[in-house]
Amino acid sequence: MKSWLVPTAFAIAIGALILIGSILPIPLLRSISMQLLQWGMILAGIAVLVGIGNLFAVHFSRVRRRQAGALDSLTLLVALLATLFIGVLGGPSHPWMQVAVEAIIVPVEASLMALLAVTLLYAAMRLLRRRADWMSILFLAIVVLWLLSSVSLPFLGEIPILSDWVRPWLLFSPVAGGLRGLLLGVALGALVTGLRVLFALDRPYGEKT
Amino acid sequence: MLNPEFLSSLVGFLLTVMVFSYLFGDTPLFRFAVHIFVGVTAGYVAVVMLYQVLWPYLILPLAQAPMLERSLLVVPLVLGTLLLMRISSRLAWLGGPAVGYLVGAGAAVAILGAVQGTLVPQLLAASEPFDLIALAERGINPLEALFNGAVMLIGTISTLAYFHFGARRQRDGSIRRNPVVEIASWMGKLFLALAFGALFAGVYLAALTALVERVQAMLSLFGW
Repeated sequence: MKSWLVPTAFAIAIGALILIGSILPIPLLRSISMQLLQWGMILAGIAVLVGIGNLFAVHFSRVRRRQAGALDSLTLLVALLATLFIGVLGGPSHPWMQVAVEAIIVPVEASLMALLAVTLLYAAMRLLRRRADWMSILFLAIVVLWLLSSVSLPFLGEIPILSDWVRPWLLFSPVAGGLRGLLLGVALGALVTGLRVLFALDRPYGEKT
Repeated sequence: MLNPEFLSSLVGFLLTVMVFSYLFGDTPLFRFAVHIFVGVTAGYVAVVMLYQVLWPYLILPLAQAPMLERSLLVVPLVLGTLLLMRISSRLAWLGGPAVGYLVGAGAAVAILGAVQGTLVPQLLAASEPFDLIALAERGINPLEALFNGAVMLIGTISTLAYFHFGARRQRDGSIRRNPVVEIASWMGKLFLALAFGALFAGVYLAALTALVERVQAMLSLFGW
């Protein structure tokens, strides 16, 4: 028997039941759909744990084999196990867990975001050197215009014509048009991908087909 | 004894300096900070999953809920156990049905989200500037609204045309897109440049705000 047959049957049956239950106004089908979604949520939670287990296994094997970056992997494993130990015993609202969030997660996330300010500036400069065509120039002109109209400049303050007229018009007309086109494109892509999965044309179950 | 708040700020300061060391390249300090971050975040996510998903929706009902509800929970329990088999490379195949379940549920949610959450609301919003009665009721100048709506609609259609890659073979053997689609695609490029420029500026402003916040947090540690 082909290994993808059972997962495909599950995917089609579950997907179809959830879709039908969400579309048709029949209470029984709706409650089946809600029940299936709740089980899906539980399974997604377990899938996250499987993913974290895989992360642990990969780094543990790097430490055991003393591969390059083993020290970094050891750091990750110690941090993971310490957080898990405190969290499992005390729960996510334990004071030490809050310290982990405030002292490690938030500062590192904010610092990585702050790094983006430098890397984006560098990328914008490189864009002009690498590809100085009209699209790049228009893109960078809009970036500069947007920044000038969003902040209060030293000695000048806000530039009224930019902040009161140009930026709102751009935002509600051409920029909204472009973004709406992108959003519709993404939604159409998600719709087609979902339908391809439900019709078994795509089988993303991890097995080699 | 050290104040826990000060200790937390000090650790945050050190990690910030380590992350900023990336400006000089992929330094060991940066890698150390990032690995601590990934480890702590993974641990935190696991704890949140245990306490806010598995405990209230699976473990607690299995122990306390009425018989019927308990027997229904056998399904996610069995599928969840099969999913755990994917950690082992020899038993990974047992997790197939659970993965199929997740993929099917994900596909259904993606379809519903795309239709109900994006396609219908965005199409309704695109038609709004052309509703002259509603515009008159709200006291909006119809000419201005129609012009802005037309620009937006051209932007939406031409952006979609930019991502249309269908082409036909011509009599001379060359493969070309329809000329109308070609022109619309060129216009779509223009609208995309504007949209991406605005997005880039928005992200840049958010990054600058984060930079200012980090510098302020670092200075406040020394009482500045």
